[in-house]
Amino acid sequence: MPKLTIDNHQVKVDNGATILDAAAKLEIEIPTMCFLKGYKASTSCMLCVVKVNNSDKLLPACGTIAQDGMKVETDSDEIRQARKAALELLLSDHAGDCIGPCQAACPAHMNIPLMIRQITAGKLRDAIITVKKDIPLPAVLGRICPKPCEQVCRRAQFDKAVSICLLKRYVADVDLQSEKPYVPTRGKNRNKKVAIVGAGPSGLSAAYYLLTDGYKCTIFDDHESPGGMLRYGVSQDKLTTDVLDAEIALIKKLGMVFKGQMPIGYALKMKELQKDFDAVLIAIGQTKPDDVESMGLETSPNGIAINPRTYETNLPGVFAAGAAVRKSKLAVRAVADGKEAAVAIGQFLSGQPVTGSPHVFNTRMGRLEEDEIERFVVHAGKAERLTPSPEGAGFTDDQAREEAARCMHCDCRKPQNCKLRQYARQYGAKPGHYKGGRRSFFQHLQHTNLIYEPGKCINCGLCIQITAEAGESLGLTFVGRGFDVRVAVPFEHSIAEGLKLATKKCVEACPTGALVFKTKK
Amino acid sequence: MNELDLTFIDKTVEKIGTGPEKVLAILQDIQEHFRYLPKEALERVCELTDITPASIAGVSTFYNQFRHRPAGRHTIKVCIGTACHVKGGQQIYDAFQRNLGIPDSEDTDPQKLFTIEKVACLGCCMLAPAIQIDDITYGHLTSDTIPVVLRDFLEQQKAQAQQAEGPAYTKSDGILGEIRICLDSSCVAGGSAKVYEALKKAIKETGAATVVKSVGCSGMSFLAPLVEVVLANGPSFRYAQVLPDDARAIVLKHFKPKQITRKIRNTISTMLDKLLTDKAWEPVTRYSVDVRDRPLAGFLQKQVHIATEHCGSIDPLDLDEYIRNDGFKALQETISKMSHELVIDKIKKSGLRGRGGAGYPTHLKLSRVCNSKSGKKYVICNGDEGDPGAFMDRMLIESYPYRIIEGIAIAAYAVGADEGFLYIRAEYPLAVKRMTQAINTCQQREFLGHNIMESPFSLELKIVPGAGAFVCGEETALIASIEGRRGMPRLRPPYPAESGLWGKPTLISNVETYTVMPWIIRNGPDAFAKLGTPKSKGTKVFALAGKIARGGLVEVPIGISIHQIIEDIGGGITEGLRLKAVQIGGPSGGCVPVEMAHIPIDYETLNDMGAMMGSGGMVALDESDCMVDIARYFLEFTQDQSCGKCTFCRIGTRRMLDILERLCEGQGKKTDIQELEHLAKMVRQASLCGLGSTAPNPVLSTIRYFREEYWAHLNKRCPAGRCKALITYSITDDCIGCTLCAQHCPADAIEMKPYQKHEIDTEKCIRCGTCKSVCQSNAVKVE
Repeated sequence: MPKLTIDNHQVKVDNGATILDAAAKLEIEIPTMCFLKGYKASTSCMLCVVKVNNSDKLLPACGTIAQDGMKVETDSDEIRQARKAALELLLSDHAGDCIGPCQAACPAHMNIPLMIRQITAGKLRDAIITVKKDIPLPAVLGRICPKPCEQVCRRAQFDKAVSICLLKRYVADVDLQSEKPYVPTRGKNRNKKVAIVGAGPSGLSAAYYLLTDGYKCTIFDDHESPGGMLRYGVSQDKLTTDVLDAEIALIKKLGMVFKGQMPIGYALKMKELQKDFDAVLIAIGQTKPDDVESMGLETSPNGIAINPRTYETNLPGVFAAGAAVRKSKLAVRAVADGKEAAVAIGQFLSGQPVTGSPHVFNTRMGRLEEDEIERFVVHAGKAERLTPSPEGAGFTDDQAREEAARCMHCDCRKPQNCKLRQYARQYGAKPGHYKGGRRSFFQHLQHTNLIYEPGKCINCGLCIQITAEAGESLGLTFVGRGFDVRVAVPFEHSIAEGLKLATKKCVEACPTGALVFKTKK
Repeated sequence: MNELDLTFIDKTVEKIGTGPEKVLAILQDIQEHFRYLPKEALERVCELTDITPASIAGVSTFYNQFRHRPAGRHTIKVCIGTACHVKGGQQIYDAFQRNLGIPDSEDTDPQKLFTIEKVACLGCCMLAPAIQIDDITYGHLTSDTIPVVLRDFLEQQKAQAQQAEGPAYTKSDGILGEIRICLDSSCVAGGSAKVYEALKKAIKETGAATVVKSVGCSGMSFLAPLVEVVLANGPSFRYAQVLPDDARAIVLKHFKPKQITRKIRNTISTMLDKLLTDKAWEPVTRYSVDVRDRPLAGFLQKQVHIATEHCGSIDPLDLDEYIRNDGFKALQETISKMSHELVIDKIKKSGLRGRGGAGYPTHLKLSRVCNSKSGKKYVICNGDEGDPGAFMDRMLIESYPYRIIEGIAIAAYAVGADEGFLYIRAEYPLAVKRMTQAINTCQQREFLGHNIMESPFSLELKIVPGAGAFVCGEETALIASIEGRRGMPRLRPPYPAESGLWGKPTLISNVETYTVMPWIIRNGPDAFAKLGTPKSKGTKVFALAGKIARGGLVEVPIGISIHQIIEDIGGGITEGLRLKAVQIGGPSGGCVPVEMAHIPIDYETLNDMGAMMGSGGMVALDESDCMVDIARYFLEFTQDQSCGKCTFCRIGTRRMLDILERLCEGQGKKTDIQELEHLAKMVRQASLCGLGSTAPNPVLSTIRYFREEYWAHLNKRCPAGRCKALITYSITDDCIGCTLCAQHCPADAIEMKPYQKHEIDTEKCIRCGTCKSVCQSNAVKVE
């Protein structure tokens, strides 16, 4: 029974146990990707490297046998740096986007591909939930948004972009016309009050998310009705007030208190607000430096000076968002700001460190080659982009489904439980750190249940072990050597022939999005 | 395509066996037969054996030896080893491609006559740049001699078809002496086979009382074909770079023919005198002089022959001669008089360290295996010499197969193993052939097999030909390969000494390590320990090549300086340039700058200098060699040879190569050097096996000593004038208008203008260097 020290804690383990086993006994977490309990350590990803007996070398904990008297260090700058490098190297050879380019380009990072798949599946209630997770005014934005998402849609490289904005509008309109439009369940009352100054898109958005989270919100505005620029700056041809009213009504349902015709701007009594409320959000739209200073806030060339990640101003507990802090006048940007400021305010009010919204980690393939687009298009609807008539109309149910089918599903199918993504975020790995030629994107679709994308494989070989264990007649193997080594079915047979018995196990074991289940239609 | 005849597969399987570990041997048979691996054949193998599709697909795509596409009738292997690289191997490859009309994406010419491939090293470094067509080696090539080579090869093919190979020499009584000639791969490439045939013919025709015999290499490959005449009464004479036409004269000069007129003899003697004094023959450079001359004496003087004992004097395959020269005495003594512990103790006292590279004390390995409690133990000889620029193992196996067998047997006895394997690189067909013969002879004469020399000790030895994967030089990968798997290294411990081949305790050592063991036993450990430095005892065999006057295999006491090896033994740098650095240890080693050449070298000092003993490749580099290019060259090699298992080696070396390629193309970014160093340190620190962790050495050592050259590349300048993208060729006013350059330019970049100054069209120029090499007025400028 070897006895060893890990991070200055002693532990005794069975003969043949690894450092990883020993660490687990001490509840010390060592990150792993290629390792799975019950299988032979493949010592390939090298994320679990640790320092042993102060040697210059770093060793993978998953495969290093614990020996008596060993001194192991599992966390230090040096180790973190090596892990980060391992992740960055793997990312530099990764062909696939975590999130679709549309979602990445959307200022609110709405999960567009998921919404589209929910439309396809006819699950419109799920679709509105997806939408409202990031955009509380989708019917409004569905009419006025300049659609940055559609500009980057990969489908545009083949024919024309998917009509994302109208699909979102469709989801929202269907919801608004339903018997009981979606209102999220309010979180537990937190007994904290937030003053929001300005009832434009960012103020309303912040209110929506703060209310959902259990905070009380009062919105002050100098106009009679809420909506800000959405009500007073957009032409009725584009956005009729009934749509705006309907979506604001849902926020009011959440408990929003609106105080109109209130003096704001230079006349605002910041001190009083700070006294009466636990936090203040300034969302007053475009503003003048004099006004900003009169509120006791610092200015920047773009308006009110803030910490761009947390929306904090120079005054404690006072946040600012929307057109008041930036040059962009995009409504969707303002909505995104409101949401992100709400996250920061929530952190502030619950006594957590105020760090703002978590960074959305994403690997990007960039522009695709023509043959790669062809591979994507294979399983998408062949129809051309639909334009509803007359101009300004929305999609019918059938139209929406047909248009939704055009989405090529270029986002990853395992964005939530991909270990590479999870650890890359944790270790602050940058996908573009090492630049090299990107390998071509491939998708193997022959299998009825699963999809294999070799460009996302990190060569852990778990699926190879699993197929061998399951007694697959063909199974999987490593083909080639070195940088070009890939997991493949022997003799160039299809993935359907290689994986007959162990599909589920393989998908579950795969640490990345290389082996994934097909989306059920 | 025609239906394949799969009955061959059935026969092969019947011959080799059906166990999963037979996969490599079966694949090698199929590859040899079909010249590639047809898919149908592989599927048939799976039907007939216990080999799974996953295993056969994995193994067959891991090793370079195997092709999955049909190949041309003949294979041209262009060596891109270090020595060939610095002498323009890539240009030779390009020239073959051009001459055969092979498109960039292909490797076979449209007529399917030749398939061209790059090989890491043919182990003929002093013939650089060298190539091999099937089993014929050609050396000292230039871009414009390629058509000649192809013609010569095809003619040889015709001639061979008409003439079967003659038997080895036969001994007869009453001979007055013998004529020795080395027939190892590099000397054959130098033309020694033709001379050998001519000598045999001359003896037969004249009836001279002598025999010609093939001997192990003298190491003086730069003189090949080297013929040594040894008279029965003692004196010997050496003739260097002999032509077949000289054979008759040499025979007649030293041995009395049965019937010959005095007059003719005189004529011949005069001719030979001229030959020896370099007067009458053209081109003059073909002929060196005999052993009394200074350069040759220099080559031999500083050497100590232990691993290469009796070099150039005994027939590699003549067991009786080996025995007459104390062969198997050490084994006899070991198994009849010594305990395991005593053998190990002798090795310990000798201070012998593993000659494979890292220098691990041999006795520790021996006692670990000896002390492992197991009924079954194995011994493995690692002859998978894959480093570009190294050919020690090849020459040792080709020249001293019996001594290697004896060494393995001594070690096997010491650790208690009764079964052994020699893993020999596939690119060394002659080494495999000779070792196979030597093992057979030893078995017949009971130096191998059951109850060796009537003792209780038994040892079975088998050869496993490697299949072309540098990483198999790593011991755990080599073991995986013998077991019929992809040659993937694994984490140690457990060390092979505890759990090696088939999980049994295994002693695995390098060829040279075994080769010196009989000498140590015979001469005593002290004699060995007397040589060398305090920490590194004995001698080391180096393969000397590159920009050097006299390349070849040299064996020197450890502790000698690089300067002594290069200048005194190697005769300094060729072409009047200055020595810049010496690359030692191949892709795991580093570049030692000329300023440090005076330091006595052993395992430790080399490590301190950022290099490594490695297996002993030593390539001299001169001022025309670019150090960034050298680093790029080695990284290209290791990156290509990485097994692909761990992230740092698989992707890390690739990203390092990306940076180096950018630099060599003048596309470097300001942060590149820093980034390269950072990444190199990571790869060194966290790679799984020795291949990855030493791969950064050539990069780090060149950055350390030649940082200014890296900076120059950032500024789009290659000071050595080597990196194609950063240089232009032009013709100076020295041009006399001889039109040679225009005639030879393969890219039509020079217009023929008799008696006028020529010009190079830089747009068309492919920077192959042909014009510079043919120009006789030194009028081609590279900058």
